[in-house]
Amino acid sequence: MKKIYLSIILLLAVKLLSAQNLPTKAISVNFQNANAEQFAHELELKSGYHFYYDPEKFDSLKVTLQATDKTLDDILNVAFHNTIYHYAIVSAKKQVFLTTGREIRTQVAPGYFNNKPGAVQPIAVAPVTEFTDDVKQPVIEATIENKLYEVGVKTSTIKPGNSTLSGYVKDSKSGSAIAGASITVAGTKAGVITDQFGYYTMVLPRGREVLNIRGLGMKDTRRQIILYTDGDLNIELLQQVTRLKEVKVSGDKVANVRGVELSVSKLDIKSIKQVPAVFGEADVLRVILTLPGVQTVGEATTGFNVRGGAADQNLILLNDATIYNPAHFFGFFSAFNPDIVKDVELYKSSIPEKFGGRISSVLEVTDREGNKKLFTGSAGIGLLTSRLNIEGPIVKDKTSFIFGGRTSYSDWLLNLLPEAYKHSHASFYDLNLDISHQIDKNNNIYLTTYLSNDNFRLNSDTTYNYSNKNANIKWKHNFSNKFFGVFTTGVDRYSYDISSAQVPVDGYKLNFAINQTNLKADFTYYLGSQHTLDFGFSSIYYSLNPGDEEPFGSGSLVVPDVVPGEHALESAIYLGDKYDVTPDLSISAGLRFSIFNYLGAHTVDNYAPNLPRIPANVVDSTTYGANKVIKTYNHPEIRISARYNINDDLSVKAGYNTLAQYIHQLSNSTAISPIDVYKLSDPNIKPQFGSQVSLGLFKNVQANTIETSVEVYYKRINNYLDYKSSAVLLLNQHIEQDVLSTEGKAYGVEFSLRKNTGKLNGWINYTYSRTFLRQDDPNAGELINKGAWYPANYDKPHSFNFAGNYRFTHRYSVSLNVTYSTGRPITLPIAEYYSLGSERVLYSDRNAYRIPDYFRSDFSLNIDGNHKVHQRFHNSWTIGVYNLTGRQNAYSTFFQEQGGIINGYQLSIFARPIPFINYNIRF
Amino acid sequence: MRQVIFLLVLIFLMSCKKLISPPAINAPNNYLVVNGSIVSGDSTIINLSRTFNITTGAAQPKPELNATVTIEGSQGQSYALTPKNNGNYVSAALNLSAAQTYRLKITTSNGKQYASDFVPLKNAPPVDSLGYAITANGLQINLNTHDATNSTHYYRWDYAETYQVHSEYNSRLIVIDKDTTRLRTADEEIYNCWVTNLSNDIILGSSAKLSNDVISRQQVALIPSNSEKLMVKYSILVKQYALTSDAYNYYTLLKKNTEQLGSIFDAQPSALTGNIHSLSNPSEPVIGYVTAGAITQSRIFVDNGSLPGGWVAYRPYYNGCYIFRELYDDVDPSTGYDTREVQLYVYPGFETPIDTLNYPGPGLKTSKPYCVDCTLRGTNKQPAFWK
Repeated sequence: MKKIYLSIILLLAVKLLSAQNLPTKAISVNFQNANAEQFAHELELKSGYHFYYDPEKFDSLKVTLQATDKTLDDILNVAFHNTIYHYAIVSAKKQVFLTTGREIRTQVAPGYFNNKPGAVQPIAVAPVTEFTDDVKQPVIEATIENKLYEVGVKTSTIKPGNSTLSGYVKDSKSGSAIAGASITVAGTKAGVITDQFGYYTMVLPRGREVLNIRGLGMKDTRRQIILYTDGDLNIELLQQVTRLKEVKVSGDKVANVRGVELSVSKLDIKSIKQVPAVFGEADVLRVILTLPGVQTVGEATTGFNVRGGAADQNLILLNDATIYNPAHFFGFFSAFNPDIVKDVELYKSSIPEKFGGRISSVLEVTDREGNKKLFTGSAGIGLLTSRLNIEGPIVKDKTSFIFGGRTSYSDWLLNLLPEAYKHSHASFYDLNLDISHQIDKNNNIYLTTYLSNDNFRLNSDTTYNYSNKNANIKWKHNFSNKFFGVFTTGVDRYSYDISSAQVPVDGYKLNFAINQTNLKADFTYYLGSQHTLDFGFSSIYYSLNPGDEEPFGSGSLVVPDVVPGEHALESAIYLGDKYDVTPDLSISAGLRFSIFNYLGAHTVDNYAPNLPRIPANVVDSTTYGANKVIKTYNHPEIRISARYNINDDLSVKAGYNTLAQYIHQLSNSTAISPIDVYKLSDPNIKPQFGSQVSLGLFKNVQANTIETSVEVYYKRINNYLDYKSSAVLLLNQHIEQDVLSTEGKAYGVEFSLRKNTGKLNGWINYTYSRTFLRQDDPNAGELINKGAWYPANYDKPHSFNFAGNYRFTHRYSVSLNVTYSTGRPITLPIAEYYSLGSERVLYSDRNAYRIPDYFRSDFSLNIDGNHKVHQRFHNSWTIGVYNLTGRQNAYSTFFQEQGGIINGYQLSIFARPIPFINYNIRF
Repeated sequence: MRQVIFLLVLIFLMSCKKLISPPAINAPNNYLVVNGSIVSGDSTIINLSRTFNITTGAAQPKPELNATVTIEGSQGQSYALTPKNNGNYVSAALNLSAAQTYRLKITTSNGKQYASDFVPLKNAPPVDSLGYAITANGLQINLNTHDATNSTHYYRWDYAETYQVHSEYNSRLIVIDKDTTRLRTADEEIYNCWVTNLSNDIILGSSAKLSNDVISRQQVALIPSNSEKLMVKYSILVKQYALTSDAYNYYTLLKKNTEQLGSIFDAQPSALTGNIHSLSNPSEPVIGYVTAGAITQSRIFVDNGSLPGGWVAYRPYYNGCYIFRELYDDVDPSTGYDTREVQLYVYPGFETPIDTLNYPGPGLKTSKPYCVDCTLRGTNKQPAFWK
């Protein structure tokens, strides 16, 4: 049967190539619940066309339709719209073929008889590197790809010029939006990427075009259109059905070379999941650490340093909500649930103008949208944690939810410890609940919430508790298909408390909290085929409780100590333009103007001008009332990047950007800790400024399956806060007296190679980078290293990462992760002496020495259950070993006096191979 | 608190603490340390010593002997210092000129040459008044000074405090030739002594933020109300130094750099750079900061009678002091064995006699030497300045 159809199509196509006129005779019909026979008979009578169909396949057809003076084509179109039924009219023979599922095309595919180079190029066939279970229905795919979609108001002649095509790219199975899918016009270099809502808009010449569509984790596809006027085209993509093959047909395939942005790394959750993690659970932040230009100070910390920036200079966003502490369990787990996360994007250099407030990088973590068509879920069981996620439609195709939760049960591990630690307790949980709702074609609402909590107690003594709470609501509105806006409002809160009541008299509880309320609007306007404008504003109201200590428990004699709260408003407006000068040259230029108002009520100490900020130099203090502006800073920020294509798979890109940061994390320990204090810029603490120039060469080889790049950068940082010796940060009412303003410079070169497809896939990179700081605050009173440059804590010149996965069969794959870096710098006490009546210690220059080099390799074996697509449960196992070689990497070197003798110690975390096992189930 | 986090890191089974000996710390760090300042109008005392490795809790200073130390003026004058004991080098009283700058030049016995930067002469203005205040925390010694020429701004003080102490027990007897006792003469009294301590804090003050160069009620010392120092009579001699702003910053940092050792969550310490350099090897660290100028000083006395009656001295020094009754002949009735306690314990000096004893037999009341003999920590000669 299939063959017969194909023959017919071919025959007809050849014959009727020049006879494409459709019936024009106007007819009127009125069907009430008509079956196929009635429907066909009536139309045969009125139109004079003969209908061919298989009655068995049309036995469930019921048509209710009223039409007056319509063509046959219009009537059939309305009748079969959004059904499994298709029709084909062969006007020369006055025949109509009705089919189910498959569609008969009465014309050959474009390009079939037209092999002129450059006119309509044959679709580049992606290398066949994978096996697909879906062999049963290749014709359906072909049919869909080969159907010619007419977009816009149909006209008999097509006016020359451009029109706008827009719409959503969605997952055909779940209906959720596909962000970052690329849509390119075949035979040209023009293309767009869908936004976070899966929306795209492109301007292209009217007439016949072929669009190639690629989405992360989706099958490559194409659509043929005839564009008459502006119009919409929604595109549904099929998932890679064999989910276990960690193959990405990446939306970034050409983005590496074609995108304007430099130094943007995007990872989907599949890539993240195949990197072995310490307790077997996929960890978003640990994978980020394997990217070029990303460093960390230590193993048990999720603070990370991007291109020489400090850990607090990264803006970490989870669905647009600011996450202040992205770690659980002191960094042993990241705060992001791998079952909910869709993808992660790290901007190291070309930070879009819509982002601001941090000077080093933006890490954007995006959750998946809930499945809009059916209920699904997954669960995972590990040694220390379990997790569950459920998603599904609330209103089918319109509203969906996704819920994810994780919890830990690590107390059994603590109970195995020696008596001294046995009464410790540690636990955490996190919850995500996201709802998305489509009001109509032009309006969508998204609600995202996040809650995380960590609680631990040491030896029944001090209890630590910290928590992230985030909620925001987003409304996306399309004003037209060239202009849309996203309005977001939300609240973010990070808080911690420390309490102890072991000694009742000394019982205390210390609280700290950051609250921020956000409001922002982001607009995108497609102005002609060459310009895309982004503009908008944002505003954040900060309210900090920098610390208060209160008595805890009855009988406590602790005197309350409260550091006065801080308030501020950080606002920005921005405008950016992506300008395609020629198909080979694109420039993206933007300006962001940020304003920071430090607000009352607050009392600010005034220091004598040009003198060190020490208690002796406090002249007086000024008290400001509530919401009085105490100090205003503003800063224009420039974001420019440009790309020039040397040829199809080689491009050069350059970027320059400047940024400002008004909130500072105060941490004088080397590791990021949950009890670090945050401080807003105030009259005595200036905002941090950063600027970076970068240049990169991008080359794709082997039909875009291997992406390579070399990037160099040079970065300056101003007003970065370093700390005086013995600075006290917690409950410090005069923090400006303990901090120093420093300037920083960082430079480096990053070599990267990434293979996304094939049995062997993964990435390998080498980075040479240096980061130096210099104390340049004339009013600090002390000069670190005589005011000379010194390496920052996270200055690790050589860094090498390999993350790879090899698939033996569809069920078995192995992953290997190898990391090497130079040891980080430390300051050592090197001698003692007597001076001014006391014994004193001589320290080396700051960060003059280094801990030993770091090396680690991890291995995992992934075993998947069978590959039947239609089964109730899909399960998989991950078994692996973390730190395969058991190398005792130094986390830190420190000194302790014991019995009058000072000894040096080296602390290693994960100092032996750690096996892990994880069981996952999907339903 | 940092320590607690550190423990948490430790509790993970996988962690591992390993003894190491970083080469940087075990290298023979033997840097020259220069203490003291160039004094105008009086004799200059410079102390030279060496740093020692961080190995033991209580180390002895390592004095640098047999060096040649001179003070050089910017116009070529040179003044030699004479080596004394313990690495001290002392000059005659010098009258230095404010029109010149001065530096210290050192040639060590191994031939290496060191020199400080040339520093301006900053003469300290006189101390206007040294006084005290009775506060809830104890006796505050405070100071007022000013510079009418508005040119000093940065000050440092150190002090020597001298106070009268009494032994726990008043001894009337002294052991002669390890075989007898007699009454003490006035010179041999060991009940009443004077103890002198030097300051071990770095005391700094600044008037830079003020329109006038005035230091008012600067706290120099704070003596707890129950301190033994206040039990009889207390005196303090405060020396006032004028500093350049660079010297002030150096001392501020030195003050901040406490004796802590960098554990993983501790604050970052940093190296301290003074103004003395090696001429032979510019990269060799030299520790110290030389200042120059005239020093002024002032002394006060505080008698116990002028302090609140509730301030009672707490003397932990005398913890463990008891009176022993030692007999010339102690015959055990059951064995008939004779223990000659005085001969055994008192005459060799293990115990110090207080008075004679008649019951239970002829003998001596005694106690441990530190409970009786205050010369073990001070002098029983009244200092010349005492009044």
